[in-house]
Amino acid sequence: MLRNAFIVLSHSINPNPNPNFPISLPHLLKFSISRSSLPNLHRFSSAHSLTNRTSRHFCSSTTQSSMADAGNSSSSSSSSSSMEKQFEGFLQQLEQSGNLRDRIRAVAAEIESSTRLMHSCLLLVHQSRPIPEVTARAEAQIDVLKGLYRRLAEILRELPGQYYRYHGDWRTETQTAISLIAFLHWLQTENLLVHSEVEQKLGLDSSEFGLDIEDYLIGICSMSNELPRYVVNQVTTGDYDCPRKVLAFLTDLHASFRMLNLRNDFLRKKFDGMKYDLRRVEEVYYDVKIRGLAPIGDSTGDQGTQA
Amino acid sequence: MLVRCSTALQRFYVIMATSFDKSTVAAEARPSSNPAKKPRKMSTSAAAMTAAFDKYAHYLNTLNDKRERVVKASRDITINSKKVIFQVHRISKYNRDEVLEKAEKDLAAVTDQYMSRLVKELQGTDFWKLRRAYSPGVQEYVEAATLYEFCKTGKLLNLEAINASLLPLSDPSFEPLQINILDYVLGVADLTGELMRLAIGRISDGELEYAKTICRFVREIYRKLTLVVPTMDENYEMKKKMDTMLQSVVKIENACFSVHVRGSEYIPLLGCSSDPNFSFLGAQVLEL
Repeated sequence: MLRNAFIVLSHSINPNPNPNFPISLPHLLKFSISRSSLPNLHRFSSAHSLTNRTSRHFCSSTTQSSMADAGNSSSSSSSSSSMEKQFEGFLQQLEQSGNLRDRIRAVAAEIESSTRLMHSCLLLVHQSRPIPEVTARAEAQIDVLKGLYRRLAEILRELPGQYYRYHGDWRTETQTAISLIAFLHWLQTENLLVHSEVEQKLGLDSSEFGLDIEDYLIGICSMSNELPRYVVNQVTTGDYDCPRKVLAFLTDLHASFRMLNLRNDFLRKKFDGMKYDLRRVEEVYYDVKIRGLAPIGDSTGDQGTQA
Repeated sequence: MLVRCSTALQRFYVIMATSFDKSTVAAEARPSSNPAKKPRKMSTSAAAMTAAFDKYAHYLNTLNDKRERVVKASRDITINSKKVIFQVHRISKYNRDEVLEKAEKDLAAVTDQYMSRLVKELQGTDFWKLRRAYSPGVQEYVEAATLYEFCKTGKLLNLEAINASLLPLSDPSFEPLQINILDYVLGVADLTGELMRLAIGRISDGELEYAKTICRFVREIYRKLTLVVPTMDENYEMKKKMDTMLQSVVKIENACFSVHVRGSEYIPLLGCSSDPNFSFLGAQVLEL
């Protein structure tokens, strides 16, 4: 009796059966039955006698006892320890993955702060600073970013084929970086920075650590958000040709995006936002042109090339 | 007026884009490298842009088609795994072997027909890229396989064993599709819900002992998972499942408890000769 009570106690503390302790069917029965009546030792003894009756009853039916046997083996020490082992393994692997993720997030945070610096540099274009001065300072950050992406690639090299497992941890930062780099590139060349060029600039390699095309496209959509503001401020400082250039670029870009079959996802949402940028630039262009402020020669020339 | 003009232009560009020659697309012009002629610059940059976007369009189309096929495969796996689970639930004390035999066949059919389709679709790609598309199916498959295994042997089917059974499906030249820990754990979490149903069914069938075994098993899984869940990647879904799992455990415990408390009243009844099943049971014993 005392021994049984001890077993009950030790089991209630540690429900996992001790592998060193041989557990027979009646023991298990006692254990599980007495769990609900543990505080009442008096009832425990009556439950005990009930157990004997029920177990005798179970033994009378072969089918039933075979099912009970099959079930009981789950609580036998061998299978339980294999379950234990498997979950311990999971824990270990998941913790490892968590550590890796922390390292990735640390780099992603650095990417973010680098893009923030770059953004603040680029914001100077709205204050009509000369473009070469603005871009020179912003461009310095590209090298920083390149270094950070190299570090990211090194971390991921430890786990080949799991790029997209951790992708979410750097994708927002990367999209911002791309939108800024593309804007910078546009300021310098008035052209769109294509995917392969971004990879080149950031030292990424599609075969190993590449740039996801959807991230690139989202970045480009974000870049267009900057353009209406740029046009407004350029016109204010007297650059009347700017709306024409921006409009031509944005029209091309919008038309190009319309070639894509998008899903109902974030990229689609970003693209839907682009038409408002386009409209705003069109309005500015209209305002400038209707007042005869736009340089006439260039404007007709533009129409000529486009039509 | 101008707006209309610009949409007309857009239409023109779209037409231009679709009729764009493929050979020019392949040799993607670097727009930054020829800033020479100012008046023509707009059109060349537009062409380069079109060329680049043609590639992106191709990439997105291929990816989306693949995703659709993966989603379909995953749905087929879900439906057919559900059938296996229902088959296992038809178990009773008299037809155990027969039911499990059919369940095994059904499960093998799911593996051979539907899992193999998923494996073929995913091989050679990053398995994490489309995980959202196939995760539900894989979870259901894990659930069906582990439920069958529990009824058969009373053990938890290991991830290693499942993955080993998937190996023959994939082309040896590719890295084989392996179910990841997250999907496995999510599937095992769902398993507890099915086990709860099984336990309740067993109790109403009078197999209290089997129900108790299930109870211990589910409790053990719950206990193990409480440690694993906080380390999982996106554990919002998993946290919800943990709550459901606890409810399942409690349900089984309560059912065991109420049979237990009233046990002295009606458990012996099951064994009494007035039970019409009893003679049948005896006949079966004789057959064996």
